[in-house]
Amino acid sequence: MTAVRMYVDALAGQRREALALLGWSLLEGVPALLSGRLVALAVDRGFAAGEPWTGVAWLVAFGVTAVLGAVGSRLVFRQLGAVVEPMRDALVAVVVRGVLRGGNGARSRPDAGGVARLTRHVEVVRDVTAGLLVQSRSLLVTTVAALVGIFGTAGELAWPVTLPVLLALLLFALLLRTLAARQRDLVLADERIAEVAGTVQSGVRDVVACGAQDEAGRAVAAEVDAQAAAAVRLARAGALRTLVVAVGGYAPLVLVLAVAPGLVASGRLTAGAVLGTVVYLTTNLQPALLGLAESTGSAVLRLVVTLRRLSEAATAPAPATGALVPSGSAIGVRGLTFGYGAHAEPVVRDLDLDLRPGDHLAVIGPSGIGKSTLAGLLVGLERPDRGHVLLGGVPVHEVAPAVRHRIVALVPQEAYVFTGTVRDNLALFAPDACDEDLLAAVEAVGAGDLVRGLGGLSGEVGHGDLSTGQAQLLAAARVHASPADVVVLDEATSSLDAAAEAVVERAFAERGGVLVVIAHRLSSALRADRVLVMDGGTPLLGEHGELLATSPLYADLMRAWTGPNAVHP
Amino acid sequence: MNPSDRSLLALVSTRDPWWLLVLVLSGCVAAAAGLLLPDAVARAVDAVLDGGGVTSAVLWFAALAAVEVVADVLDVIARARTTSSGTAWLRHRLSGHLLALGTRRRFASGDAVSRLTTDCAEAGGVSVTVVRLALAALTSLGSVVALALLDWRLAMVFLAGVPVALLLAGTHLRQTADDVAAYQRVSGELSARLLDAMRGVRTIAASGTAEQETARVLRPLPRLAAAGTGMWRAQSRMVWRAALLLPAVELAVLITAGFSLAAGRLSTGQVLGALGYVVLGMSLVRQAPLLTALARARAGAARIAEVLDTPPPRRGAQHPPPGPGRVELRGVGVLPDVLRDVDLVVPAGAFVVVVGASGSGKSALTSVLGGLLEPDTGRVLLDGRPLQETSAGAVFGHAFDRPALLGRTVADAVACGTSADRSRVRAACRAAQVHDVVVRLPEGYDTPLALTPLSGGEAQRLGLARAIVRDPRVLVLDDATASLDAVTESGVSRAIDEALPGRTRVVTTHRVTTAERADLVVWLERGRVRRSGPHEVLWEDPEYRAVFAEARG
Repeated sequence: MTAVRMYVDALAGQRREALALLGWSLLEGVPALLSGRLVALAVDRGFAAGEPWTGVAWLVAFGVTAVLGAVGSRLVFRQLGAVVEPMRDALVAVVVRGVLRGGNGARSRPDAGGVARLTRHVEVVRDVTAGLLVQSRSLLVTTVAALVGIFGTAGELAWPVTLPVLLALLLFALLLRTLAARQRDLVLADERIAEVAGTVQSGVRDVVACGAQDEAGRAVAAEVDAQAAAAVRLARAGALRTLVVAVGGYAPLVLVLAVAPGLVASGRLTAGAVLGTVVYLTTNLQPALLGLAESTGSAVLRLVVTLRRLSEAATAPAPATGALVPSGSAIGVRGLTFGYGAHAEPVVRDLDLDLRPGDHLAVIGPSGIGKSTLAGLLVGLERPDRGHVLLGGVPVHEVAPAVRHRIVALVPQEAYVFTGTVRDNLALFAPDACDEDLLAAVEAVGAGDLVRGLGGLSGEVGHGDLSTGQAQLLAAARVHASPADVVVLDEATSSLDAAAEAVVERAFAERGGVLVVIAHRLSSALRADRVLVMDGGTPLLGEHGELLATSPLYADLMRAWTGPNAVHP
Repeated sequence: MNPSDRSLLALVSTRDPWWLLVLVLSGCVAAAAGLLLPDAVARAVDAVLDGGGVTSAVLWFAALAAVEVVADVLDVIARARTTSSGTAWLRHRLSGHLLALGTRRRFASGDAVSRLTTDCAEAGGVSVTVVRLALAALTSLGSVVALALLDWRLAMVFLAGVPVALLLAGTHLRQTADDVAAYQRVSGELSARLLDAMRGVRTIAASGTAEQETARVLRPLPRLAAAGTGMWRAQSRMVWRAALLLPAVELAVLITAGFSLAAGRLSTGQVLGALGYVVLGMSLVRQAPLLTALARARAGAARIAEVLDTPPPRRGAQHPPPGPGRVELRGVGVLPDVLRDVDLVVPAGAFVVVVGASGSGKSALTSVLGGLLEPDTGRVLLDGRPLQETSAGAVFGHAFDRPALLGRTVADAVACGTSADRSRVRAACRAAQVHDVVVRLPEGYDTPLALTPLSGGEAQRLGLARAIVRDPRVLVLDDATASLDAVTESGVSRAIDEALPGRTRVVTTHRVTTAERADLVVWLERGRVRRSGPHEVLWEDPEYRAVFAEARG
């Protein structure tokens, strides 16, 4: 999704609120529209004409317009909430949806820093949008009101005033691209410092251990210098912007003063009109233009840069499609090959495998060899480079998503527990299950004591108040209670002790359907009907006894494990 | 503000004296031109209205405007120059000092980074803030003087309005504090929910429940919007009063000026000039953020000085002479009660295992032993020479439970701090059983670390490779294989035997299989050595066996 598109979409819902905002803005612009005229009248008809009280009366009218303007400002600010808050809501929704849709890769990991960054970015967009609506809008209203006021007071001076202003705005717009690029460079340079310094400082023990102080110091210093240079480059572009806009602000005044004498002398312009024009220019138009240069420019740039970062996070792959309906829940794997890049060794190579309901397979191998990737391929999270994974005879990623999600369940190592009741958490994949069903699943996987300790099904669980082992138990119970016919446990019990792990695996084996266990401990292999050994080459499939004979790796593993088994139950 | 903060700010300001001079000069020139401009407008308008010679007045105005513009442009660059050079100087010093402090520092890493990024930036801008504040004050003062020169009554009326202005400026923060707190609380709750869901992202992807879980994460959103709306309401009350302020003062001064005009004390142009000086004089009120910036600069400087005032540990520069790798601890203690009176001899070439419950001081012991942490009491001797006198880094190879991997690519992370070439890196990765993982990454050894989310076990093995590649005299493994399954762990252990034969090895572990292989087991309890000896001997003690029972699961 492009950054601009995302922003426009988020704002689009607030059209009526924005219109109301525009309405109050017009009220806010009243002083700018009338101030020069009223001051001119106060002088012309009052003070300069020897009737000071008439002058005072006109100035009181000036005061009344100021009160109107202030009322406008107040209403504008109240209305801002109605535009900005829903926009922020829409933006948060887009980002959250994108993040939750995007992370299905086996190698993606949750990251508290990333969440904090997203939150900060959304707040920046909210603040900057509000700031833009406050300032740029008022600057725009002021500029237009002042120009209209000048047209009404002294039409003859319209061109000397309008031309330089338009020219300055045009040049400013042309400069924006350069400014945006420089601003982005600076933001990136700032982020790089935080990133590099963060790595070094959080790893200072490792830096010292490696004797890499000089190396680390140089890495940080390079980013610091790059940031300073980026700041200076931005300032140079900023100086050019100041030049353009300041000239655009002063030039009208100089031109007016230069042409006015002739117009006054020829009687085409009154003294009051000249005075009023100068008031418009000095108290409204010029400050508005300078404000535009100083604040609006950098605000727009900050907005653009932040939006781009947000849109990167919010860009999710298209949701899964597919319309095929499988017949049954048997799994067939044919010539399956998958790797993470053109230069990378394939993680899975030429795998053939058949799993029928009632089958129980354990997958073992060193960590990092690609067991989780295989799990992702089996449930259709990853697409094979070559070969097929068939579910009920049809390619698994072409199965209608709703059907696939009902038939197949993956229990990953990182258990998902959300804030809510135990019941909400357990019924996630079985919304219609009654309490008895849920409790039966809880007892089956050995989570009875845990759930009772949490206060039963109505007990509340929250952010991180469960240990990883407890969270894994709840996640296991949840899938046990689900209608899934194919269950893949991907190191789903890694934080449980060996006895609790055995309870969970037996519960799933007795539950029926296809069970695939990506093993964390070798004991998982002994409980399975068949074992798949992955060691980086072609995977070996067989029963425990066969593999002891055919796979030296498997035999080695078993020997290494049965030693400690004497003390490690 | 203590003296070291102040001297730090003074040093920051003078980092780039030429640009500081430009900053002050351009600021003064701009302020002077700004003060003369309303007067020039007044003269020009009077000249226009009199119908007399207007050329010189317009030229004077145009010249002043040009000077103002040029000074503004220079000012923009000078601000960036002084700020960036000051900030960079602070960052260089702070970063260097933090690294020199090493593991001895009291500052958490997030805290250290925020000092390096935020505090340095705020303190680095101090000269700009001070100059701008001074000039804003001067400009306001000059405006009052200019008003008084036009007519003393104008100045009196203006000055009467200023206290009201200052009164209004201070009321904003109190009004919104509640809503701000509520906003931050709900925002935090949303983040926590999002983090929960991100932990479960694989479950969500596999079950196709992204929409449903998005709604769940977003549940607190209405409360966030309510708090936000409250903030806007409070602000609108504030804005209403602020929006009346300038026109009120303008009105008062204009009426006074009007009567002076009627009485012949002022010309029409001078009424206009008075209006200009009112706007200029009120600009000080808008500079309130500069006061905040100044307070922040001082706070930032204080936080930086706090780090710089912490003395770094003493450390010899000499490379230790060659030796077999015997380490001796004599009466070592680390405050507060982390280690007490530890005496220990690690014979050259021995495989020593340190066990104990969590918090018993295992990590502190290995850190002291390997020269990462200077003990508060006692001494550490490497092959008979005090560790402090040498640069012991090259002699020890450390690996950790959760290693921080440094460098751009995977290969950089392994070679860190050495000049090891690709073949040595590859060999070390083979020994650490991580070569097979690395070659499956998108660009193998050249895969950027930032794009490589590593599991705990993978990171641990890269950390091991990093220790192995240094070819150390003493290998110190602090729970460095905790995340590996038993199979991988025994493979790693065998491969280290092959890659670094006969090397002294000190290992902390929770695993009984590792302790079984040790020449000597050191059993730590609450910072003291409870017992040491061969595993089989200690194993008879039920409390020793309990150490491993606790760790399981």
